[in-house]
Amino acid sequence: MNLRTIEKSTWVYLAIAFLLFVVPFLVTGRSIQFLIIQIFVFGIFAMSYDLLLGYTGIISFGHVMFFGVGAYSTAVLFDRFEPTIFTFGLAILVSAIIAGVVSFIVGILTLRLKSHFYAMLTLALAGLFLVGAEKWRKVTGGSDGFTFGLPDMLRDSFTLYMLSALSLVLLFFGLRRMTKSPFGKVLVAIRENESRTESLGYQVLHYKVIVSVVSGVVASYSGVLYILSLRFVDTSVFATDLTIDVLLMTIIGGVGTLIGPIIGASLIEFAHHWLSDLSDVHWLFERWIILYGTIFILIVVFFPKGIVGTLADRYIRWRARRTE
Amino acid sequence: MDVLVSLAVNGLATGMLIFLLAAGLTLIFGLMDVLNFAHGGLFIWGAYTGVWAYHMTDSFLLGIGTAIVIGLALGLVTERLIVRPVYGSHVQQILITLGFMLVLQECIKVVFGPDQKVVSPPSYLEGSFVVGDIVFINYRLFIIVIGLVIFFAFYYLFKKTRVGLIVRAGVMNKEMIQSLGINIKLVFMLVFMVGAALAALSGMLHAAYSGVIYAEMGLEFSILAFIVVVIGGMGNFKGSLFAALLVGLTQAFMAYYVPALSLATNMLLMAIVLVFRPQGLFALR
Repeated sequence: MNLRTIEKSTWVYLAIAFLLFVVPFLVTGRSIQFLIIQIFVFGIFAMSYDLLLGYTGIISFGHVMFFGVGAYSTAVLFDRFEPTIFTFGLAILVSAIIAGVVSFIVGILTLRLKSHFYAMLTLALAGLFLVGAEKWRKVTGGSDGFTFGLPDMLRDSFTLYMLSALSLVLLFFGLRRMTKSPFGKVLVAIRENESRTESLGYQVLHYKVIVSVVSGVVASYSGVLYILSLRFVDTSVFATDLTIDVLLMTIIGGVGTLIGPIIGASLIEFAHHWLSDLSDVHWLFERWIILYGTIFILIVVFFPKGIVGTLADRYIRWRARRTE
Repeated sequence: MDVLVSLAVNGLATGMLIFLLAAGLTLIFGLMDVLNFAHGGLFIWGAYTGVWAYHMTDSFLLGIGTAIVIGLALGLVTERLIVRPVYGSHVQQILITLGFMLVLQECIKVVFGPDQKVVSPPSYLEGSFVVGDIVFINYRLFIIVIGLVIFFAFYYLFKKTRVGLIVRAGVMNKEMIQSLGINIKLVFMLVFMVGAALAALSGMLHAAYSGVIYAEMGLEFSILAFIVVVIGGMGNFKGSLFAALLVGLTQAFMAYYVPALSLATNMLLMAIVLVFRPQGLFALR
């Protein structure tokens, strides 16, 4: 491979990725490592969401169902079988298959319709999954949830950190490769002008279904990681709040980029962490969602590209002025 | 038999409340092509402010009046500040109104406190009467009557008056209406305000019906209203009545006969409609 053909930004990302693997040697506090693991998990979840929202222009209100599917399949498998690495692999496989099948069916049914139908049907389905998890007590333990044992290897917070960091980095580069491929270009074309893309001879529906399946499978994997870090599962993994969280992460960080959702995830996870501490100082901080929602509205109106998109635009303009 | 009738009354009452909520939403969509996810926020603001006025003054009518006024005012604010910048883009509308929904819901907690509030209907609407062996609860009948009155009032307004004509024509072809010299933006704003007021009224009536209100109702009812609009056909006023009654009745009967599935009823209904008739059961076009 010729090193010169690699883009400059790839080196930057590789350097950041390398730093991520150094961090756990410097930051050893369990709670802070846990927080960073959460950021990685939600970074993956938000990236998968951005494949739909940012790259293809599909709004899903039920993305949490894939997350929940990943979480529950893992928890149930660890609960029923010996907690070994093999079970872990099986959990990833099973959740990917379920998420893939569900997203395929949903996609086939509604992606040919206007955008809000997909939003509504995914919302409805996520609601059904939540109700299902509450009612199917034999397997899910209902709303009380259950704890489960992990293989010895995954119990250590350092290993878990490395696993989620590695997952984030690999998925980031993998998805980046996908979005830069001709396939990714077609997705962006669909977002920009669906009927024109169709009249150019692309089977728009095929592309949309494929991306929704990829997105669902990646989201389910983030659910797997999430539940490993918690070692406890309950119906909250299907809550609509999580969909809204991931929506905010994507929008605030920057739609249509992959690094944006990761940045959004870190900001929002940190905000969750620090603001819930601040609520002891003043009760108004408990209502931080107001602030959150207001920022969100302002971003949708004034910076529809989010933090990363806006900064990138500034940078491009600044470079253009300098080269003049 | 008596069970069937009381379930039906129950379902119709719920349906009427949902209709009031969804009517505004469907008009806003039909006329302005706006997907307003903040509709449930207007609903809870109507409920909380109405109940506040009702408890302060001990007058239920004043509570209803307050809810309607607050609904009109919030409708104006929502249309001006939130929806106007994003006309034409569905994705942005969904996102921004969802954000506003969260803000409205949290503001309720700041102003009125995060706890549930208990409400009961005024004494003259409380109680029940018996016909044969069937018990009728007064407040439920009251809601059904109010719902029917509002439906027919609006139906008359749409079919017989000039304003109604403009709105109906606007739903069909707004560019044409504009070129005929009618200020369509003003019509948009008025329809939005009226829709918001209906949602607020629905919230107030629902408060005394269910007996308890809480801020999270906002998102729940936003979703419920959308389900009804999807089932009834986007932009169809009459369709939203039928769909709301269908949802209300199904909910009531499922809760009685198949309680395990009652939570999933609405979602199932919508999923079925979306799969087999995505334009809605009573679609115009």
